Amino acid sequence: MLDVTFAAPALPAKGALVLLVAEGAAPAGLWKAADEATGGAVGRAFAAAEFTGKEGQTCTILAPGAGLSRILAVGLGKEDSLSERRLEDAGGALAAALSREPSAALAADGLTGAQAVQVALGAALRSYRFDLYHTKIKPEDRVKFAALSVLTGAADAAAAWPNQAALVRGVFITRDLATEPANVLTPVEMANRIEKLRDLGLDVEVVGPEKMAELGFGALLGVAQGSVNPARMVIMRWNGGKNGDKPLAFIGKGVTFDTGGISIKPAAGMEDMKWDMAGAAAVTGLMAALAGRRAAVNVVGLVGLVENMPSGTAQRPGDVVHSYSGQTVEVLNTDAEGRLVLADVLWYCQQKFDPRFMVDLATLTGAIIVALGHEHAGVFSNDDDLAGKLLAAGLATGEKLWRLPMGREYDKLLKSDIADMKNITGRPGGSITAAQFLARFVNEKPWAHLDIAGTAWATKDHPTWPKGATGFGVRLLNRLVADHFEAG
Amino acid sequence: MTPSVELTAAAPGTFPHAVPVRAGQVPAQYTAAAEAAGFTGKAETICDVLGGARRELLLGVGDGAGTAVYEAAGAAAASHILGAPRLAIDLRSLSKQQAISCLTGAVLRAWRYEALFSKPPEDAPALSRIDAITDDPALAKSWARQHAVLQGVTFARDLVTEPSNTLTPDRFVARLERLAEAGVAVEILRGEALRQAGLTGLLAVGGGSAHPPALAVLRWKGEFDAPRLAFVGKGITFDTGGICIKPADDMWEMRADMAGAAACAGAMLALALRKSPAPAIAVLALAENATGAASYRPGDVLRHASGTTIEVVDTDAEGRLVLADALGWVLREKPAAIIDLATLTGSVVTALGHEMAGLFSNDGTLAAAVSAAGAAVGERLWQLPIDASHRDEIRSDIADLRHCSPKRMQPDACQAAAFLREFAGGVPWVHLDIAGVESRAEADERHAKGATGFGVRLLDRLVRDRYEDPRRA
Repeated sequence: MLDVTFAAPALPAKGALVLLVAEGAAPAGLWKAADEATGGAVGRAFAAAEFTGKEGQTCTILAPGAGLSRILAVGLGKEDSLSERRLEDAGGALAAALSREPSAALAADGLTGAQAVQVALGAALRSYRFDLYHTKIKPEDRVKFAALSVLTGAADAAAAWPNQAALVRGVFITRDLATEPANVLTPVEMANRIEKLRDLGLDVEVVGPEKMAELGFGALLGVAQGSVNPARMVIMRWNGGKNGDKPLAFIGKGVTFDTGGISIKPAAGMEDMKWDMAGAAAVTGLMAALAGRRAAVNVVGLVGLVENMPSGTAQRPGDVVHSYSGQTVEVLNTDAEGRLVLADVLWYCQQKFDPRFMVDLATLTGAIIVALGHEHAGVFSNDDDLAGKLLAAGLATGEKLWRLPMGREYDKLLKSDIADMKNITGRPGGSITAAQFLARFVNEKPWAHLDIAGTAWATKDHPTWPKGATGFGVRLLNRLVADHFEAG
Repeated sequence: MTPSVELTAAAPGTFPHAVPVRAGQVPAQYTAAAEAAGFTGKAETICDVLGGARRELLLGVGDGAGTAVYEAAGAAAASHILGAPRLAIDLRSLSKQQAISCLTGAVLRAWRYEALFSKPPEDAPALSRIDAITDDPALAKSWARQHAVLQGVTFARDLVTEPSNTLTPDRFVARLERLAEAGVAVEILRGEALRQAGLTGLLAVGGGSAHPPALAVLRWKGEFDAPRLAFVGKGITFDTGGICIKPADDMWEMRADMAGAAACAGAMLALALRKSPAPAIAVLALAENATGAASYRPGDVLRHASGTTIEVVDTDAEGRLVLADALGWVLREKPAAIIDLATLTGSVVTALGHEMAGLFSNDGTLAAAVSAAGAAVGERLWQLPIDASHRDEIRSDIADLRHCSPKRMQPDACQAAAFLREFAGGVPWVHLDIAGVESRAEADERHAKGATGFGVRLLDRLVRDRYEDPRRA
């Protein structure tokens, strides 16, 4: 992770310097000092490159003089509408542009402490890499950028950073888990990795298939039974709040690989199904972030980990399973497995922990991509207050949500001829009916379901994440907790 | 057709009688029957009392609050005795609004399309007359207004049901004679007039068919001068998909691909029949998307009347092209706001199913007003986003825009809305993607099978609630 430090504003004697330039702003502070120290190179370069500080614009001046290896200018756009999002994006842009520099100094003397931290956050989030399986990286391809010194006179910046660093570590845990291939990251291996988070002070309990069978997790185990890799449910607890305060609960779908089972998927694009555990990964990253920043709140995180494989022992379309809630489910399509896993974990969660609310995250349906695309995740809820808080947290963090409807007309579609419900209803309203299915396992608890199938993975770079696993959900839910559930 | 409704003080006779019953208030003479049937007056239950001098239907309305439950009760009554030619409904315990709702439900549920049967099937619905028992002399005026609206709904449903070999663009235009009779000014642009107006999308989409396209402009004068509310409707009388031809399965359903235009026409008929004071205009883009030697092709670039160039990616995304032309055309009328209706995408069906239409807008106030109108009449809407990624996806390499994404698994409904927004000229605009709600696959107690007329009541209600006060218009 990018090493972020803070120092008083002064021109560095060597290395790279980053300037943040609002559109149409006049040189001041370190910017002006850098221009003077380089004999006007900055001003000349800006004029020659028509760099005016527009949002997203960058300008690189190589060996500008004054001992510096380069000056990178990043446009902030119009100063009067400068938002958290634009600051973060500028941070991301600087990290992307500095891959050749082992370290850089960021001239943040024109920003408040909070703004400077926001830029650093963006830079840290963007500088994520997953190089585990590249055995030969040419030196010229290796990303060197590893340290950012933030030059600011604001005393609160350095103090604010550790909480952000904990958040970034949480996001990276999520991205690592989602990126790991499925031959490495089996349910057992993912549980093992979560157990390592005990180092952060998390209480971690791993539940195996025998115990789940004893409890009666027929829905989850039905999905798992086709694979040689046994299922796990992992329960993470962070008790940072008052003793006896009911916890908040976060639940994640963790299908470490989803072949579709007997209802097998087409081959094209099936490799994406290694990240069908992105919901569980987000819950894990969130728990790590909350523990890492010692959040003053009680939280439980539960993940249901299975592999969905076709085999001689796999469940078949038409099977009926008994869920932990006692309700029976006719499995008409073994590829609608995520809801079966979540059904048992949701029911267990509300029964065991009596939480204030439950939020689940799942790469649940392809329909959500056809409905919303890749910029918004879908949110479904039985509680307007919770949904409103989630939508606001989404806007605040840039992990945006769009609410979709629920209702009994959709619920009706789950009717089965031989069981309490069936697990698929057909293409129309496919994400909604999936949510209706889950709603039958929340036992009236305030609950929201985030369908992150369109937002957990990116096929191109974004200012604050390189292409690949986005870590969607960690920042969103961390913000939800911080804004509403840690006061007092 | 729908049954006629006669308001009457009493309906002696042995034909079936329906009575709305609140929970726990079963009339004394029916308590034994109700008990045997387990009927208590709970909403959406019905108790069919046979064996008396006449058949009695007890319609459960629960606590009796609001109007929706009465619309459902009226529908349930009609649904139960569709085979009977005549039904009386006792409205005397209901408020005026509730009575109107109850009749509305019954009339809409009893709609059917009989024109093409040479001999009606034996189980065909027969309900042709409803006796509405009332002691409220003021009900007649309210009913007359609602009856006008329901005529608009029926007009739209009939158009949506009519097959495409008889409902060509020209025949659709001929059907608009009904609106002219009601006082709507009808102007039709064809051929050279379309070319002069630069309606290249409509001409391209209609180019492959032997039945040429037309733009129908419907104007209702109202009673005061103000910028008009504009309706824009997609009227693809049949959609083969064109060169990007659709799979054969269920292609017959594409005869309903003019439901947006039908809804706009039905709403204009409703406004005219009930003599709405609000001025309004509707523009219907009518074309058949056929495969033919003169069909437009994937990869073609069209120049919209506004000058914007459009790369055609998939000829089956034709609706947004004809709507772009109609939107551009209506802007010259300087409308107060624009609502377009279109059976536009399969994507919206994947998103919302068959219970709600998708709403997209560039204006929060208008979106809220349209949503409220939909909720009030039970034509439910759900807003979906137009975000930056949707707009990015319709950038073209060789033209100003491409009209859809070439990739699979796309949020096509949102991207189509992003495309249309480019042609709304910044005027407050709402786009309703009504694919999935224009027809119902199965009948139930509440709904007839087939065309719904979705949009007519909603638009009428919007006008009534927001545009009939000249001081606000």
